[in-house]
Amino acid sequence: MHRSAIAPLALALFAALAVRGQESAPAEGPPPAPRWPDGRVSFTGTPDEVGNWEGPANASIFFEVTAGKEVRPAPSLATNPSLDQVPFQPWAKELYLQRHASLQAEDPHTRCKPSGGPRFFHTPYGMEIVESPETGEVFLLAVGAPHSWRVIPVDGRALPENPEPTWYGHSVGRWEGDTLVVESTGYNARAWLTREGVPYTPQLKLTERISRPNRNQLRYEATVDDPGAYTAPWSGGWHLRWSAGNEPFDYLCQENNRDPARMTGPQGE
Amino acid sequence: MNRFATGLLLLVMALPAATHHSFAAQYDSKKPVNLGGVVTRVEWTNPHVYIFVDVTDAKTKKVVNWGFEMGPPHMLQKAGWKRNSLKIGEQVEVEGWLARDGSNHANARRVTRSSTGEALGAASSAGQTLTGSGAATRPPAPAGATAR
Amino acid sequence: MKMPGHAQFATLLLAASVLAGCGAREEAAPRRTDGTILFDRVKDEKGFWDLPSVASLAEAGVSVEMDARGKLKDPADAARVAPFQPWALALYQHRQQNDFADDPMLECIGPGNPRQMMTPGGVRFIEDRNFRRMYMIYGGGNRNWRTVFLDGREPPNPDEVNLSFLGLAVGRWEGDTLVVDSTGYNTRFWMSNGGLPHTEALRLTERFSRPSHDELRYEVEIDDSRTYTRTWKAGWTLKWVAGDIQEQFCETGRE
Repeated sequence: MHRSAIAPLALALFAALAVRGQESAPAEGPPPAPRWPDGRVSFTGTPDEVGNWEGPANASIFFEVTAGKEVRPAPSLATNPSLDQVPFQPWAKELYLQRHASLQAEDPHTRCKPSGGPRFFHTPYGMEIVESPETGEVFLLAVGAPHSWRVIPVDGRALPENPEPTWYGHSVGRWEGDTLVVESTGYNARAWLTREGVPYTPQLKLTERISRPNRNQLRYEATVDDPGAYTAPWSGGWHLRWSAGNEPFDYLCQENNRDPARMTGPQGE
Repeated sequence: MNRFATGLLLLVMALPAATHHSFAAQYDSKKPVNLGGVVTRVEWTNPHVYIFVDVTDAKTKKVVNWGFEMGPPHMLQKAGWKRNSLKIGEQVEVEGWLARDGSNHANARRVTRSSTGEALGAASSAGQTLTGSGAATRPPAPAGATAR
Repeated sequence: MKMPGHAQFATLLLAASVLAGCGAREEAAPRRTDGTILFDRVKDEKGFWDLPSVASLAEAGVSVEMDARGKLKDPADAARVAPFQPWALALYQHRQQNDFADDPMLECIGPGNPRQMMTPGGVRFIEDRNFRRMYMIYGGGNRNWRTVFLDGREPPNPDEVNLSFLGLAVGRWEGDTLVVDSTGYNTRFWMSNGGLPHTEALRLTERFSRPSHDELRYEVEIDDSRTYTRTWKAGWTLKWVAGDIQEQFCETGRE
């Protein structure tokens, strides 16, 4: 960066911090999560305040070291492991590092492929969480990516045995207090678990824990139990941000996707 | 105001988010570009809006058509654009970053209409949602507009 | 910060509707305890809408033979399918003669409306009474979903919106019928199997009803004066199918 840029940069940094300071002025912190009439926590808004969840694109499920320093993106959970703590099998770590080195040039998501699990929760442009009390299901509707949906039956049914492998896997959910616990199996393992390229195999059993510590945050944590790629289960996650006023809109990645042809990665330089 | 806006843009450029998404695989943040020309086509589409601009080389007078990628339509809309904001034949200046593949293509972070000097944010995918005059007074938004 | 009671009151359903779990269903559509109709399943029931009764689109009352892809058995029937403007008839005939080689769905573009409703793979209607919306979630085409705003807002100005495949839709209940007005369509899709054309001027008025447990009635009025000489209507039905929508995503085969 040019030396001449430092002064305005410092000015902007100061301004940004000042704004942040103003935002955090109220002593009481964020308001509590809304609740349904039966007392259970709500993962959505109210008729007076629509909105949806913004998936944090910069969140990571584990912390990496860049230039000797651990990078801890703000939305990530403080309890996330570091890269070295993730119990990769050697081939999985090698694959992960290769995807990282290529700057994610081979990302299936960029080719409009669906991504279940954690990736679903850091896809931008808004995610609606819709509870259907008539049917005992929770629907996750993502605006971005292929503009698709996941369904989580929360009716006590068991996971299917030997299901047809799919992009989103097969899920069942249950409530543990205010936490929705979702277990999924039956993945085709053609996607990446996160934007960074975390690998997985069809042996994956994923447990997702979704809760809402306050009005503004949805806490998402995934436990990856995949003996095909890891030597032990491990967990990580991040917070999604409530975007008041956001409404869903029609979106289609396939409409005019010119990116893949140009994704050279670093060798293009 | 201009200096503030410039500083904010640079701050945005310094955010680490650029290493976490497809921007880095496709564009080179070390290769800024600044080009002016005449709009020949607008593709107001997902996942990205594209504009195409005829750029005339000052010396050779040769005309080259450049493509510029911006954010998705809804982000541009938040930044004050409409799908018919830019007119075919209109003169614009575009700031952005070059594609790594060496083609006449770049990621736009700001488009300025030559007729009015109005700077339109391009909702670039370089780790920031809104840039340009319409967004310069806001704090940096979380990097949520960086991918599909 | 509690929600109003109406957001969740529907957890209790009429016992009669739960009885619909087995047997032939000439019986009535299920309803909530407040009497409002349900287009989706009730608790402990598995099902969705599929098996569209038509393979393509032709004006109501017009009888033309088409195959499962909407290809006319007799090309001379083309002008009878809809009240085309001359250019639109020529484009329709071209698509027919070209054997649909440039069908956008071959590139995994979503079917768009109203083609989505004749695309096999399933559809469910998830009503969000909290936000006053109807979500239509699709199994066919590209496994997309559509939002219909039921909050009484005015339809948007088509000149101000981002054009899309499923349009911008506002709806209202007229008794047991969901009436949906939509606009803001792009022209990157074909309006039907068989290649009926449209322009950005397209405006649809769709009417969804459930005359019995097992039947969903779909009627659509097509208003696009740049493509057709007058508004025209078509309608078809979908059947209630047991089970869950199976996941399928379109792939071009070049992945």
